[in-house]
Amino acid sequence: MDFDDGVGSRVVTPPASRSWDAGRGGFLVDSLLSEQGDLSAVERFAQFHEDVLEPLQGRYYSALLPASPPGPGQQLAFEVDLDRCSGCKACVAACHTLNGLDEGESWREVGLVVGGLAALPVIQHVTSSCHHCLDPACLTACPVNAYEKDPVTGIVKHLDDQCFGCQYCTLACPYDAPKFHPGKGIVRKCDMCGDRLKGGEAPACVQACPHEAIRITVVDRAVVRARAEAGEFVATASDPAYTAPTTRYRSLMPVDFRPADEIGMKLEHAHMPLVIMLMTTQLSAGGFLVALFARLAGLAEGLGSPPHLGFCLVFLYIGLAASLFHLGRPLFAYRAILGLRHSWLSREVLAFGLFAKLATALVAAELLAPDWMAGHAVLRTALLVVVVVAGLGGVACSVMVYHAVRRPFWQARSAGVKFAGTTLVLGLAAALVSVSVSSALALNGPAGLLIPVLAGALIAASAAKLWFETGDSRERDETVVEPLRLTAGLLRGPLKRTADFRRWLGVAGGVVVPSLAIAAAAQGGDKVVAALAVVALTASIGGELLERFLFFRAVTRPRMPGALTS
Amino acid sequence: MTTTLDRPSILKRIQALLHAKEGPLTRELVREPGRFGLGQVPATKIPDATTVMVCGFCSTGCGLTVHLQDGRAINLTPTTDYPVNRGLACPKGWEALTVLDAPDRATVPLLRNQAGARSPVSWHEAMTTMAARFHAIQARHGADSIAFLSTGQIATEEMALLGAVAKFGMGMVHGDGNTRQCMASAAVAYKQSFGFDAPPYSYHDLEESDCIILIGANPCIAHPVLWERVTKNPHAPEILVVDPRRTETAMAATLHLPIRPKSDLTLLYGIAHLLIKRGAIDRAYIDAHTRDFAAFAEFVRPYEPALVARETGLAPQVILDAAARIERSSRVSLWWTMGVNQSHQGVKTAQAAINLALMTGNIGRPGTGANSITGQCNAMGSRLFSNTTNLLGGRDFADPADRACVAAILGIPEANIPRRPSLSYDGIIEGVKSGAIKGLWIVATNPAHSWIDQSTLRETLGKLEFLVVQDMYHSTETARLADLLLPAAGWGEKEGTFINSERRIGLIKKVRRAPGQALSDFHIFTLAAHYHGCGAMFREWSSPESVFQILKRLSAGRPCDFSGVADYHALDLAGGVQWPYPAANPDPSPRRRLFSDGRYYHADGRARFLFDAPRPLPEPPDAAYPFQLLTGRGSAAQWHTQTRTAKSDVLRKLYPRDPYVEINPADARELGLVTGRWGVVESRRGSARARAFVTPTVPAGLLFMPMHDGSTNRLTLAAFDPESRQPAYKACAVRIRAAADGEAAHPTSGPTTH
Repeated sequence: MDFDDGVGSRVVTPPASRSWDAGRGGFLVDSLLSEQGDLSAVERFAQFHEDVLEPLQGRYYSALLPASPPGPGQQLAFEVDLDRCSGCKACVAACHTLNGLDEGESWREVGLVVGGLAALPVIQHVTSSCHHCLDPACLTACPVNAYEKDPVTGIVKHLDDQCFGCQYCTLACPYDAPKFHPGKGIVRKCDMCGDRLKGGEAPACVQACPHEAIRITVVDRAVVRARAEAGEFVATASDPAYTAPTTRYRSLMPVDFRPADEIGMKLEHAHMPLVIMLMTTQLSAGGFLVALFARLAGLAEGLGSPPHLGFCLVFLYIGLAASLFHLGRPLFAYRAILGLRHSWLSREVLAFGLFAKLATALVAAELLAPDWMAGHAVLRTALLVVVVVAGLGGVACSVMVYHAVRRPFWQARSAGVKFAGTTLVLGLAAALVSVSVSSALALNGPAGLLIPVLAGALIAASAAKLWFETGDSRERDETVVEPLRLTAGLLRGPLKRTADFRRWLGVAGGVVVPSLAIAAAAQGGDKVVAALAVVALTASIGGELLERFLFFRAVTRPRMPGALTS
Repeated sequence: MTTTLDRPSILKRIQALLHAKEGPLTRELVREPGRFGLGQVPATKIPDATTVMVCGFCSTGCGLTVHLQDGRAINLTPTTDYPVNRGLACPKGWEALTVLDAPDRATVPLLRNQAGARSPVSWHEAMTTMAARFHAIQARHGADSIAFLSTGQIATEEMALLGAVAKFGMGMVHGDGNTRQCMASAAVAYKQSFGFDAPPYSYHDLEESDCIILIGANPCIAHPVLWERVTKNPHAPEILVVDPRRTETAMAATLHLPIRPKSDLTLLYGIAHLLIKRGAIDRAYIDAHTRDFAAFAEFVRPYEPALVARETGLAPQVILDAAARIERSSRVSLWWTMGVNQSHQGVKTAQAAINLALMTGNIGRPGTGANSITGQCNAMGSRLFSNTTNLLGGRDFADPADRACVAAILGIPEANIPRRPSLSYDGIIEGVKSGAIKGLWIVATNPAHSWIDQSTLRETLGKLEFLVVQDMYHSTETARLADLLLPAAGWGEKEGTFINSERRIGLIKKVRRAPGQALSDFHIFTLAAHYHGCGAMFREWSSPESVFQILKRLSAGRPCDFSGVADYHALDLAGGVQWPYPAANPDPSPRRRLFSDGRYYHADGRARFLFDAPRPLPEPPDAAYPFQLLTGRGSAAQWHTQTRTAKSDVLRKLYPRDPYVEINPADARELGLVTGRWGVVESRRGSARARAFVTPTVPAGLLFMPMHDGSTNRLTLAAFDPESRQPAYKACAVRIRAAADGEAAHPTSGPTTH
């Protein structure tokens, strides 16, 4: 270091051209502007610790790191002493800066809870990032195996180059730890600054906390498991039994907290490609299903033939295409089935992939070799059965995709009814269109009984589904879990107009127009029936799209306690 | 680069297509050793040099190590071996560079034409116009018809140059700083009690104290790095927090005293009385080093616990408990900030704290003191050298000896030094209102947001013939009113020194190029002098460092003497230097406190006991306006009018997006307000919309709103401390109701909201 060699006396002298007395102010301006552009700090001041590789800050934070690495049955974990946290949130800013994250990006967040007695109120900031769970929901959910849990440290690491941006992990994590980066099309998340820890350095948040509220400890996995099963974690956060989060929150203040954002009027992302994908795949599966029923009932006229099956197939391809738009990196869509062993999303992709291939084969056969197909009735039916099984399997996987992330509004008993309902409603509506249009264009013989049967079934299915959905927005008492009460509040509040419109479309497309179609069919007006059928399908599609839009928008996301919306 | 396509690499590539453990996205987040003792840093931001400078937000004065590439700042981390912050910073400090890159930086002078439109002009035209307009106004209305409003946010050298150019060169008489809004009461209190404006402490006192009394202070949020000192105190100290709200700091107290707003003066007198009654005073210290104790003891005699309890809302037992804890402790320190200063009786409240320290001998020893925690990064520089209400170096304009002294040091005619002190901030605003002041030059402050009671301020500023605003951003509420906007370089784009709360002089350095044609404030003042025709007087003031040498001469022999600091290089090596640091026999210890010898700055060397009867609230709540409104800092991520902190996405994540009002659950229930619901807060002067935040931490009958939203000061009452002329931001009467549907659909928007 060279700070005592006399450089201290070095002063940058003003440019010689500067003259106080010159009347030529412009000259002075120019010289000042040029001086302003000079960056002088490096020349003017000495460099300190230039070749010091180890972190100077280590002297303050070394006590916050474990003395020895985790042994068998152990892992690393964050420990937060809530009573030491002052709420300054330096941890969030440091995570951003020390990890070179993009503008606005940070993997740590600080929520707020309030509570206590009137005589002794309590306010508590809660800092959190990834909890490096024993059973990471993100890892289980990921269809491309972009998550790894380190067998020694237990750190849940995200492989950024493996991620294809499906964001399913962001739905699965109950703590909002993985963050989608729209610009890069991938998720990124906290890795506990794993390479810092490897080098004996503290994670950014640990280094930065002025009050030593965050530390890294070695925890026994069995202890974490037991605490999680006993429901011990942090006030107002999601049930730890789901993922067994390893972060230990300590506080001496056992009080009844409420999150500062408890009213939770937050609307979740609509995920429009998924809304479209779920609607169209279900229409398609339903369309094939109705065709199968018709064939088994001996009413295959107009439904077992290429126009109807092709019509359904088109929707299936629209759905599969839409799902690509959901991906941050669609080029890597082929990776989607890597997680077959654990991810319902991989299974959904596989099932719909099979469905598409089989259905395409069936339609091709019906188109290219209709006579041969007609001559092999059993095979023809069997092929249709296989197609239907694949389609319904896909729909079932869709149900499980949402069921698996443990949001009450998305539980199978609700999502299953809705997805099955959509499958039936749209399958019937599509069939009604196929039959009536074929009939009007005289492609087939007269539709006969099929119109009233299909329309009647459509009315019944739509009415049942709409009735079922009214439960979502009904005022709930305390016996209903809080997330469902919040969802109901959203549907009655900020989403009320959308929900009303959805019902209106559903009633129109699923009840009123099909009734008119029955009446028109009785009058024998083929073209009118066909027109009404198209209207019924269009309105039903609109209604189901809105239903699915609300499915995403109105769900309550389990997460760490928050503060007023930032 | 050539790529070999042998079999293993092809296999590897195919495998990577299926399972990519590495790649460009992974590399974006790699961390590598950064040298310079930094440990690992982002591989994309490896510095080739570093340099340390003090933060430009608050007065804690943290050292920040700026990471440089080719001399340009690319990142920063708090400095481990800076004596103030030991490698820690609050979010503002961490994000200090980000806010320099904002798109609304002022990059070129903007001049308003006859039609009222503003357009870019050259510096030459801007400064020619400014000089011509100011000359013309002065010619018609007298030299004192132009004035300036300065700031605690620019370097000491810059504020000294501004004060000198404006007053000695341009002939102005009136100029004041925004430090009036935060520190004036403390400054006046110290000056009267000690004989000089001298906060006596070192931050280390927070670690050495065994009883820490925080009055109207919430360091957890406002000064987190000072709170760190409290958490490192090894003596398990008593922590007494006097605050109407149960803040984060109050949560950490061993005894929270949730008094009624502005009853702190009564409480402190009550505690003084109890300590005197119990004999828990330091008679020897009082006799040796103070004056007027007997009168004080007599004065506080009526402040019995029953009376104090009635006034403060505390139980008498709690007051006795507080006094007992002080009595039991041997190193008591009292700390205050805006809760005391921003009051209609701030000076006397601060002096009540000083009195407690004096009478118990808790001053001049480790872990003691009556300690004002300052607000802005260079409020302390402003108090000594802004040349506004005090003559340079904490001197008196009205004192002929002081004038002669300054004239001699600067080599300027004594006649150029005004013989009367400036009007204070409120007086300048009144002067504009009355028409006595026709031209105003506002530097690095945002009165159109921050000044108390905004209801008439904009109209008032509209009366000016010529308003010059000098700022980093063209978008501040005030900058948008300017007839001439001068684009200024910010912290990190210029050199100079700041003085922090513990009197530590620290450096700021030039590590970024200012955008466009923005110039450092120093250079702008240089231009102003030149174009006004008084440049010759400031020939020696050629650079910040040459002004530093002038300031040393001005400080010599004064309590704030730092003539022993050689230059910027010496400051850099030492990690900042606390004043006093005289040329002769300076104490080189890195942390020092004042008055260890018991000698104060009054001529007789004795401190004064100063006191006065508490006065009623300027606007007590009544039936029409039943709530009392408190204002203050919202979060550690926000700074004042948010002209800077709103420009960082990370900081914006850390505080609520919309303005909010804290309300007690009982009041909220009655009014039908729930958390998140929009409410309307109204005072006799204006109204503001804010989302309710229902929390038991604010007592019933009180509301709290952060000062960071522009609408808060539409509510506040323009009441002032009579001695310090500091505005009383923290208590006025308001009412609140739930907003009607649609009423809150468009919250106040301004440069501070995005």
